[in-house]
Amino acid sequence: MLSSRSLAISGTGIRLLLADPAPVLVNLVMPLLLAGFLMPATKAQLRLAGLPEATGAEQVVPGMAVLFAFLSTMLVCTLFFREHAWGTWQRLRASQASSLDIVIGKVIPLYLVQLLQMAVLFGAGSLLFGYHPTGSLVALAVVVATFVATLVAFGVALVASFSTMDQVLVVGNLGGMVMAGLGGALAPAATLPGWAQAAAHATPAYWGLEAIRDITVDGAGLADVAPALLALVGFTLAFAAVVAWRFRPADAKVGTT
Amino acid sequence: MLEVTDLRKTYGERPVLDGVQLTVGAGQIMGLLGANGAGKTTLISIIAGLRGADSGSVRVAGLDALRQPRRAARHIGLAPQELGLYPMLTVAQNLAFFARLAGLRGGGRRRRVAEIAAALDLADQLGRCAGELSGGQQRRLHTAMAVLHRTDVLFLDEPTVGADVRSRAGILDVVRAMAAEGTAIVYTTHNLMELEQLGADIAVLHAGRIAVEGHLDDVVNRYATASVGLRFDGAVPALPGWHADGSRLTPDLPVTDPAAAAARALAALDPNQAACLTGVDVTHPSLETAYLAITGQPRTSENHHALVA
Ligand SMILES: Nc1ncnc2c1ncn2[C@@H]1O[C@H](COP(=O)(O)OP(=O)(O)OP(=O)(O)O)[C@@H](O)[C@H]1O
Ligand SMILES: [Mg+2]
Repeated sequence: MLSSRSLAISGTGIRLLLADPAPVLVNLVMPLLLAGFLMPATKAQLRLAGLPEATGAEQVVPGMAVLFAFLSTMLVCTLFFREHAWGTWQRLRASQASSLDIVIGKVIPLYLVQLLQMAVLFGAGSLLFGYHPTGSLVALAVVVATFVATLVAFGVALVASFSTMDQVLVVGNLGGMVMAGLGGALAPAATLPGWAQAAAHATPAYWGLEAIRDITVDGAGLADVAPALLALVGFTLAFAAVVAWRFRPADAKVGTT
Repeated sequence: MLEVTDLRKTYGERPVLDGVQLTVGAGQIMGLLGANGAGKTTLISIIAGLRGADSGSVRVAGLDALRQPRRAARHIGLAPQELGLYPMLTVAQNLAFFARLAGLRGGGRRRRVAEIAAALDLADQLGRCAGELSGGQQRRLHTAMAVLHRTDVLFLDEPTVGADVRSRAGILDVVRAMAAEGTAIVYTTHNLMELEQLGADIAVLHAGRIAVEGHLDDVVNRYATASVGLRFDGAVPALPGWHADGSRLTPDLPVTDPAAAAARALAALDPNQAACLTGVDVTHPSLETAYLAITGQPRTSENHHALVA
């Protein structure tokens, strides 16, 4: 599955990300800033909701991590669209790399960056805001790794479905915000109106955040979050199906640099 | 090595390729000519698997390139007309990346990158970002990226656009060397002199088909025209076998040796007439006049080889 060509494409993808690190850095700093501002209000809210020990970090750290993971998905899309602007997309296609090699090669660095972003946010959350899950850290890692895979698949599905980066930005940012909001990234899902709670089940953010919440405050382990993991895998497969259905390497895309 | 049969392609309602036949053998350099919009890039893109065809067949190294584009791609190198490189990576990184995609490894890859960089006069630029290069340097890098590995068929779609005199010569040297190693090369350019320098075979794409295909010398012999004209200030003198065309005197019959015809006409003029002569235009038979005859375009004044009297 992992051909030497995919690896070559991944290596170049990492170089390209390093050559222009600003977007990655912004998505690391912004959530930490926001978390700082949101902590006090969230703490009060959680204590009122029956968690007398709450610091606010239980909600804010995973919430911001999930919200900004959605926003980082745009990075996935940009890297595809930039290839079109640079004229390198058709060179990749004319090379000996297959379409699958190309997609896998481009996805790997983006997956790693998203994973890194999550690790930094949870790590900084624990150092700066005292985020300490009561449950299994392994379970937390597995949930995060799966959730990031879902989002990368979501990003590639957007790339496959639209022909300009502007369209992707509108749909991706709005859709990402709605999904993250419904899923409980901005306020605990349980505080949202009934219809929103019902709709939340249709977003991967909800399943990711539910699982993280269980691990954070209810001491959950891997087995406890298995249903949520299954849901995330389902979303990932659904997005991958969209990619398989809609992705046409020959499609002309309007590139942006 | 490359065999295109009855290839058709329509964009919307407009047929661009309308039954193209083309064969290019190992070691052959085929100059693909045609006006802007004739369909050269479309033809190359279809063969390289970047676009689909409506019908017809393409065989590359014995493989059906339309049915098995991935397998055929292993035998094809392409420098597209549109520039394609990573502006924030260095020249060396761009070259190494495409060499890796082409399957070159380790020491062989490094040697080949150095060799091609030297051949295309990029050796001094290896550490610079591709985006900082001049337009002609970028075009050379773009071409270099396509000739890193030995392929059976190589397409160079206007590889010399914007290249200066020396780097143009470097590109032609690489083309010759690859042909000598047995690569079948399809080369498009609007600079016909390059094809004369390459001693290429010629295929002219016109009105959706290959209108003429053959060795350059044969194409020139068969289609090229020569012409000669004497320009006068004021009255155009009468000369047997010649007629006035505005302020120019031109022969009644086609000439084969325009310079000799001009010399004879000049000798026949008396000194008074010769005093009003302002210039002599001689157009030798060339690929250019052959191309213009084939594509049925009127000649423009630039192709005249003017000898001032
Ligand atoms: N993707 C496309 N969609 C619609 N029409 C196209 C497309 N690509 C090319 N064409 C049209 O097809 C015709 C052939 O274009 P092509 O680029 O193959 O010409 P060309 O011979 O390479 O020209 P040039 O010398 O300018 O490079 C042109 O009229 C062009 O407008
Ligand atoms: Mg073209």
